[in-house]
Amino acid sequence: MSNENGKVLKHGTQTRTMHWIHLLAFIILGLTGVGFYWDIGGIASIFGGEANASLVHRWTGVVFVVGPLLYTLLNFDRFSRFMDTISHFSKDDFAWLKVMGGYLPFIKADDVPPQDKYNAGQKILGWLIIIGCLLIILTGFPMWLWRHSVPAVFLSFCYDVHFWTAMVLILLVAGHFFLAAIHPKSRVEFSSMMLDGYIDAEITAHHNAKWFAELKESS
Amino acid sequence: MSTVLSEGVIHVSNDCKACDHCTFICPTGAISGELGQKHHISPKKCINCGQCLINCPFNAIHDLSRIEELKKALADPQKFVVVQEAPAVRVALGEEFGQAAGTNVKNKMYASLRKLGFDKVYDTEFTADLTIMEEGTELIHRVYGALGVPGFEEVGPLPQFTSCCPAWIKYAEDNYPLVLPHISSAKSPQQMWGAVAKTYLAEKLNVDPANMFSVSVMPCTAKKYECERPEFISSGYQDVDLVITTRELAQMIKDAGIDFMALPDEEADRFVGLSTGAATIFGATGGVMEAALRTAYEILSGESLGKVEFDAVRGLDPVREATVEVPVKALGTSLPVSVCIVTGTKHVASVIEDVLAGRSKYHFIEVMNCPGGCINGGGQPIRRDTY
Amino acid sequence: MKLFHESEGITRRQFFKGAGMLTVAAVISGVFAKFGFDVFAASDDYITQRVAGLYTLDESMAIRKSHENPEIIQIYKDFLSPGKVECVSPKAHHLLHTKYGKDIPGFIAELKNPHHVPEVESAANEETSTEEPAA
Repeated sequence: MSNENGKVLKHGTQTRTMHWIHLLAFIILGLTGVGFYWDIGGIASIFGGEANASLVHRWTGVVFVVGPLLYTLLNFDRFSRFMDTISHFSKDDFAWLKVMGGYLPFIKADDVPPQDKYNAGQKILGWLIIIGCLLIILTGFPMWLWRHSVPAVFLSFCYDVHFWTAMVLILLVAGHFFLAAIHPKSRVEFSSMMLDGYIDAEITAHHNAKWFAELKESS
Repeated sequence: MSTVLSEGVIHVSNDCKACDHCTFICPTGAISGELGQKHHISPKKCINCGQCLINCPFNAIHDLSRIEELKKALADPQKFVVVQEAPAVRVALGEEFGQAAGTNVKNKMYASLRKLGFDKVYDTEFTADLTIMEEGTELIHRVYGALGVPGFEEVGPLPQFTSCCPAWIKYAEDNYPLVLPHISSAKSPQQMWGAVAKTYLAEKLNVDPANMFSVSVMPCTAKKYECERPEFISSGYQDVDLVITTRELAQMIKDAGIDFMALPDEEADRFVGLSTGAATIFGATGGVMEAALRTAYEILSGESLGKVEFDAVRGLDPVREATVEVPVKALGTSLPVSVCIVTGTKHVASVIEDVLAGRSKYHFIEVMNCPGGCINGGGQPIRRDTY
Repeated sequence: MKLFHESEGITRRQFFKGAGMLTVAAVISGVFAKFGFDVFAASDDYITQRVAGLYTLDESMAIRKSHENPEIIQIYKDFLSPGKVECVSPKAHHLLHTKYGKDIPGFIAELKNPHHVPEVESAANEETSTEEPAA
């Protein structure tokens, strides 16, 4: 354990706002979507019946698309740095993956390799969420706007991709939530994304040693 | 029996994923439901065409099936089961057995029907030819009537619409009752065949028509509705007892464990089973028109047609028109016969409006509900081609 | 308390990665759209093929005109108009013609009352329309 004092601004205001918007949209979309797929009348009635639930789903979908799109365009530098980080896998990342960051109880890990701003698991999650969102958004368009003109086979393909991608994303996000808000080792990160954006320097120095070294150098 | 008439043939099952694809397919707006809401078909507005069924991404729409009843009839030694098959069935049935679309399996189809236990196997194409004779003659009478030829004052008005498509008939009855006098009074080939089978054929074969069970294999779900209509009793019995679709026939063949493609090539039985090329093309849009032109031209002109193909009426555009110069021997002049072909009931409204307003320049209008004609009917094998 | 901030601005490499990701997203969208259009283009092919199948079958038939069908000639001569080929003969009219819409109930009554058939049929005119024929 290092003994660093001070605080690190991990996520800026816009990042946190985007994360909140995306999170809330995702919950509404997931809830209504699951309601449609398994035909759970109770969920639809929360949103005012089948047709209204569908309207809520679609317009929340618009928020789900526009939110990250605006963020990316307004914060192209942050986005670029993020893409750079998650697309760079070093030896340390693979070593981290080998012990799964020490999160799994049956893999013994005394010393977890030093990580970037995002650890290897978060990098993979980042990729999966980007690809998943892209697939869900792309398939959502024909299902809503061109549902009358596309062939049946294409429409059913879109429904399948939309649903299965959503299922994978829901599971990923559930895991993400568990690690970021519940797991005792990592829930310290919670405030950095959900509240003021700051995290203790000590934690950063421990969890994201490589990134912290960069921060120290530049400040 | 009357359930088909009151409740329709096509129903949305609970598998509906509320994708709303079908509301645009439906030519009559019979399907209700918003995106996200389970859809429902109003039997009053539905013309039973089954286009929604073959285009449902989730196969959640079904047609009423009486296949069990047919199996019982086939097993009943008392019943003399005869069968007719529509032209469009023979180029699509093979698809259920791994053949490419458009593969002609006519002769194997006859063989498979005999194997399934039908007593005699005939062909709707025979009455397609009969339709041309009757409907063509009616058209000639109407043209004479319009030209003021004496003796034809009491005929119906021009233009004449075809009457082969039961979905189109119900559409006209439901939406444009004023256009009904324009529709040819000739029955559809299926119903002609039913009427002829229980009279002429029963006489020829010396079979009691009461024991005759008349089955029809159709590419069409609306035919299931048509055969139950109460006016089709001119033989003294219900003319056609039961209709199965191409899909249902394929299912029966599979259920019976018949190796379809290994069947020998057979021919249809005599008296009401012989067909011509003119009848074969009934299954395609423009086919009835072309068949009618072949016969009308030769009868009116007294000359033999050199080239029997009328390419002008072929194609897949929803509304097509053509003018054919026909020399009329009886009048000593040549008559430009103006024809129109509509495929897809969605496109027929403007043509009807023109007719009702007296603006229509056509003599003969063919209307088929399904895009492309009967070959794309609601009872045909469902295609999900991606390449 | 010391506050650590990330430095602003991006390096060349970071820019290419960000722009690259946007490009990849655009390419994936394009591929998806291409797939959609291909499916759309192929979705009606079977209609063309089935129609072509019928026309090919027509060409292979020995007889290609309805009035030359020997069984058609036979049914008229033996049954519908004994001794000759006469379309819309009374019997043909009875068996092969129908009525539509509001005329159906009367038509059914007529069919169910067979001895009336010959008289009604000879007077044959079911088109009771008052409309002028469009020339």
